[in-house]
Amino acid sequence: MSGIFTRRGLLQGSAALAAAGALGTPRKARAAAGERKFLFLFASGGWDPTTVLDPHFDSDKVDMDPDTELGSLGSLTYTGGDPRMDVSRFFSRWGRQCAIVNGVDVHSVGHESARQFVMTGTSASSFADWPTTIAYHSQVEYALPHLVFSGPSYAGTYGSVVAQAGGGTLLDLMDGSLLGRSERPAPIPASPADSMVDAFVYGQAARFADGKKGLSRDRAEALVGSLERTMELEGRLFEAGLNDLGNDMLDQCIRAVEVMRLGLTRCSMVGIPGGWDSHGDNTVQAVQQTDMYMVLDQLFEHMSVTPGSSTRWLIDEVVVVAMSEIGRTPLLNGSGGKDHWPFTSYLVAGSGVNGGRTVGATDPGLVGLPVSFSTGRESDSGDMLACENVGAALLELAGLDPQQHLPDVQVFDAILG
Amino acid sequence: MTSLLLTLALSGCAEEPAPGPLLLSPREQLIRASVDIRGVHPSETELVAIEESPKLYDDFVDRYLEDPRFLDRVREVFNQNWQTRNGASYFDPNEAGLFGVSDARVADSLGDEPLRLLSFIVENDLPYSEILTADYTMADPIVAAMWNLDYPEGATTWEKAKYQDGRPHAGVLTMNTTWMRYPSMGGNANRHRANAVSRMFLCDDFLVRPIVLDRAAVDQLTEDPENAIASNEACMSCHSTLDPLSAHFYGFFFEDGAEGLEQARTYRPENEGAWRDYAGVGPGYFGKPTRDLTELAQALVEDQRFGECAARTVYESLFQKDLDDGDWSDFTVHYDHFMAEEMNIRSLVRSVVVSEEYLASQPADVERVSGVRKVSPAQLAGIVEGITGYRWRFDGRDGLTRHDLGLPGLFGGVDGQYAATPNHQPSLSVAFIQERLAQAAGWDVASHDLDPERSGDARLLLYVTVEDTPESNPEAFEAQIRHLYLAATGLPLGEDATEPDALVEVWKYVYSVEGTETAAWASVISAALRDPRLLFY
Repeated sequence: MSGIFTRRGLLQGSAALAAAGALGTPRKARAAAGERKFLFLFASGGWDPTTVLDPHFDSDKVDMDPDTELGSLGSLTYTGGDPRMDVSRFFSRWGRQCAIVNGVDVHSVGHESARQFVMTGTSASSFADWPTTIAYHSQVEYALPHLVFSGPSYAGTYGSVVAQAGGGTLLDLMDGSLLGRSERPAPIPASPADSMVDAFVYGQAARFADGKKGLSRDRAEALVGSLERTMELEGRLFEAGLNDLGNDMLDQCIRAVEVMRLGLTRCSMVGIPGGWDSHGDNTVQAVQQTDMYMVLDQLFEHMSVTPGSSTRWLIDEVVVVAMSEIGRTPLLNGSGGKDHWPFTSYLVAGSGVNGGRTVGATDPGLVGLPVSFSTGRESDSGDMLACENVGAALLELAGLDPQQHLPDVQVFDAILG
Repeated sequence: MTSLLLTLALSGCAEEPAPGPLLLSPREQLIRASVDIRGVHPSETELVAIEESPKLYDDFVDRYLEDPRFLDRVREVFNQNWQTRNGASYFDPNEAGLFGVSDARVADSLGDEPLRLLSFIVENDLPYSEILTADYTMADPIVAAMWNLDYPEGATTWEKAKYQDGRPHAGVLTMNTTWMRYPSMGGNANRHRANAVSRMFLCDDFLVRPIVLDRAAVDQLTEDPENAIASNEACMSCHSTLDPLSAHFYGFFFEDGAEGLEQARTYRPENEGAWRDYAGVGPGYFGKPTRDLTELAQALVEDQRFGECAARTVYESLFQKDLDDGDWSDFTVHYDHFMAEEMNIRSLVRSVVVSEEYLASQPADVERVSGVRKVSPAQLAGIVEGITGYRWRFDGRDGLTRHDLGLPGLFGGVDGQYAATPNHQPSLSVAFIQERLAQAAGWDVASHDLDPERSGDARLLLYVTVEDTPESNPEAFEAQIRHLYLAATGLPLGEDATEPDALVEVWKYVYSVEGTETAAWASVISAALRDPRLLFY
């Protein structure tokens, strides 16, 4: 990461610096030290855990897809068989880095409330989601701390670290092309001149922040930090491949890990495409989940041959979390669909994950069972596993103290390597 | 001993009261009020007047509250709660005979149907309760065509109108737009709609209530969800009051799979009793039986939470924070005033903006209340237009108030889809938007003002011509840059300000690189428009 273009470096080289007056000191020192990065993938609408992650072939209370059979890799089990060739391929190649988490209580069967629970661990709208919280509390300064390509985002009070790709508009803002699209178009300012104005504006913002206290200062400093990031990104758009966000999930995943590799981003969210709310036809689940595993296979392949920012390979510093806000009922309804269910499953894979195993458990009716939080196995003396416990584990994986964010919430240690 | 007691007594007597807030300067006070009430900065004439006579503040507030732009702001503020502006047109405009009208244009009008009723109420100083008791709706020609309304022939603006399908009229509760925005079909049994009413008018969101589902409840849900909802205590804690609310909306109910505008826009009185086939719970309001939507409306407006919710929506928007325990005594003053003034929104806003807490630059508790506010997308657009005459438009549509490009959401506004609450913390995209808008406006102004053959007066470059350079006319450059700052921020630069020298250097550098006066002045103007005092107020 040597040679990284930094705000202070730019400012010190700027002729405007002296005129702009004393500047604020960036709050976080840029460092090359490794922090785990997080790629969240979200199936919005509610995926069916039995399609891949939580098979129940021995239960007459669960409708499994026809022609599927139990697949396994050590203690990791999944729904395999001919209709799941791509799933089996993924787990055979990468299963040792994957933990399947089953029987997670999401506290609700409503999309909106369950989505908020699984993303934030609470029902309070003021709480930020896991990627935003992790990005906000990073030790390293990132230009795009949490980059949302698609999928849900709960910024809470940490909105300053969230960048929404916004259907490409963010990129048009970054490269200035939006200036040419307006009704009275303007040219994109030449880079050296633009940088000089940027440096002046940064100085003004830093001075403005200096005079503020408390929440006012937080807001003013958020502007200062954001200006730093705009300037860095303007210089690194093409290097980061951010000149084109891509059109599909694989494109977005590859770009997400690329900006992580370049030290621009710590967390990213990508929506898993598809109509997941399969009340009318549950067969869509198999198609969409199979597609997802094909993408994951290519993503992991990419990460396994791409050098990381602080590790040999990217796969050694990125955590991939695939999730959905609810599960689906164990039995098909009269329309061949499945309805909302308050227990779901996660796939957690990559750096620091205790992989190659399935943890958490559901009974033959797909209801969550008490489990030991240290082993992840079913245990009568264990605790019910809920989405906030998994979230707390992700915070710990990120190097944060979960108790500071979710007091009294027990960490689901079983997924931590 | 005596002296010790005396000392204690004296020290007790001499105890200072808790420090109050530090107030904004008179100029800053007027800027805050104007931006909040009208979405633009005050004129320099007004700022000079308030500086000379700070007591004029209340008079200016009264004048601003009569400004038509106040109604735009009222709609913006309440949309943060109601979120009916979501960019959805729901149906093909051609089905309503609106040939050649874009989906986006239809979405603009439909999203405003409830909000236009609100601004009509505010404009005419009617009680806020009219929002649920009005026996009419508001429509423009597009809303009238989409919903087949009785609308004045030949009218082109927002007017009173009526649905013609025999439905009862109960303000927002009987508007098609409301229930298109909050659909609720099949197994959901109108519960989504009931919760929308509770959230919009009582500020009570069932979805954020903590839910504890024990094993028995889960097992029961597995077997028979509707039975669990009706009998399990954990489920009943919400459903006992939610389901009776839901029962009011079956006249708007049509089965999944029903398609077409005509079918969806028609109210069906014959379906009002369909609750028997779904949740099985009849209409009621928190334990009190109600027969229909008009009785529901009456029950809502008589609920203390109804007035509190309106006051809270205004208060939270003006302070840019969620109401908490520390606000309660202050909030109660404004709420009491609102109720005493027969739920008059204009009076409520006035009560807040003339209060000391509102005018604080440094509140008494700086960790709980921010002394700076961040402008909304619409406020930024209005402020920059007020300064430069430039509006950022794309394909005939306003960039910062319409959702076509996603700019309002990127700037921290609500979009009715992904962004449900305004974000008051500047972010990367906020900084980019201010930068690009400043560049666009700067270029527009410089191109116009430096054109010797321009039409009309110069907008901002009043002290320099295209022939002037920093060397040939340094006084004009200094005066021009000071004027730019005054115009951009509403605050004059101090005698020892460094901005003029710094921006002269910027001018010289850009001129050396780009070779045109237009580019050089565009950069200088853009720098002034990116001042943090434009973003914060």
